[in-house]
Amino acid sequence: MSEAKTGAAENPLTDKIKALIGTSAERVEASPRWGIEREGLRLFTNAIMDPDPRYWDEEFARKTRFGGIVTPPIYCSYLSRKTPAGAEDPISRAFRENPESDGIGGVREGGDSGPGALPPVPTPLKRILNAGNEIELYQYPRLGDRIYSQARYADIKGHITKDGSPMLVITTETTYTNQDGDRLCILRASTIRR
Amino acid sequence: MVSADELRFKAQLYYDDVSVGAELPPLVIGPMTPTHLFRWSAAIENWHRIHYDQNFAVYHDGLPNILGQGSWKQSILPRYLKDLCLPDGWPWKVSFQHRAMIVPGDTLTVWAKATGKSEKEGLGFVDLDVGMRLDGDVESCPGKATIVLPIRGGRPIPYPFVPPKGA
Repeated sequence: MSEAKTGAAENPLTDKIKALIGTSAERVEASPRWGIEREGLRLFTNAIMDPDPRYWDEEFARKTRFGGIVTPPIYCSYLSRKTPAGAEDPISRAFRENPESDGIGGVREGGDSGPGALPPVPTPLKRILNAGNEIELYQYPRLGDRIYSQARYADIKGHITKDGSPMLVITTETTYTNQDGDRLCILRASTIRR
Repeated sequence: MVSADELRFKAQLYYDDVSVGAELPPLVIGPMTPTHLFRWSAAIENWHRIHYDQNFAVYHDGLPNILGQGSWKQSILPRYLKDLCLPDGWPWKVSFQHRAMIVPGDTLTVWAKATGKSEKEGLGFVDLDVGMRLDGDVESCPGKATIVLPIRGGRPIPYPFVPPKGA
């Protein structure tokens, strides 16, 4: 019989995992050295099919409450995913190492252990499911802004599911700020580990 | 879809004009195509093959088709709330879950329904149920949001947004 059926499964929230709650990663720059630029913004706004002139019409944007061209609400959260100019091509590297690469594994520089990453949660639970997202907005980034991010473990809960399986719900919170330290937005992502 | 000029000249939605239970104007997007999905992957440099390589998605990962990206959905809901609030309101917060998969051919209706209202320090807070409905009334992204709308004759909503204490 499985552990689940005998009721022997233990809550996976160990003391080591509990100790991670509140742990913050290093604050790192998410944007390129030249800050938010127009062409990346154009690609992004086209991809979300948002023709808002606040993103491209300088004269109009200057007269709005934002005082200039701004970006969509959570644009800044995608900046750190981009491959820096001059870096080794991560796609070629990934497929050289694994011709069956899924396009994610081995592609992102540093993966989950690079600068700004949180320490891994020490659990044997491997399956990862997205449990939901929360977004709080305070200010839109502007062209030329340099963006910084800092992640922390906001909460980790342990459960035994109805079928007796152990499960963790891990909530990470990432705060994005600009070069002046102004808070732009907070993103929380909850993942289930089973 | 909305045009640039509709957003440029959008009339303000006021707190006074929203009733609890009212549905706000939806945003319809689609039908989605593989090209839309590929454009998003390229824009954010997300090279996960399940979003643009149909052979990989179907024969390697056993999926019904290439899939719309969760990150795209995550960007669409705030964009919709931003549109509702323009020009002087603020799309303060939104939370949601990822449910039904989006595949090519789907048309999405991004929607919001007012579930509560409250005034705090002269600002109008409207709580919403939100989501992204697919054909056949399948909900892909159920969630909740709070937007802040100006009250007629009231004070401007601060920008950068500073929520009142206890809000």
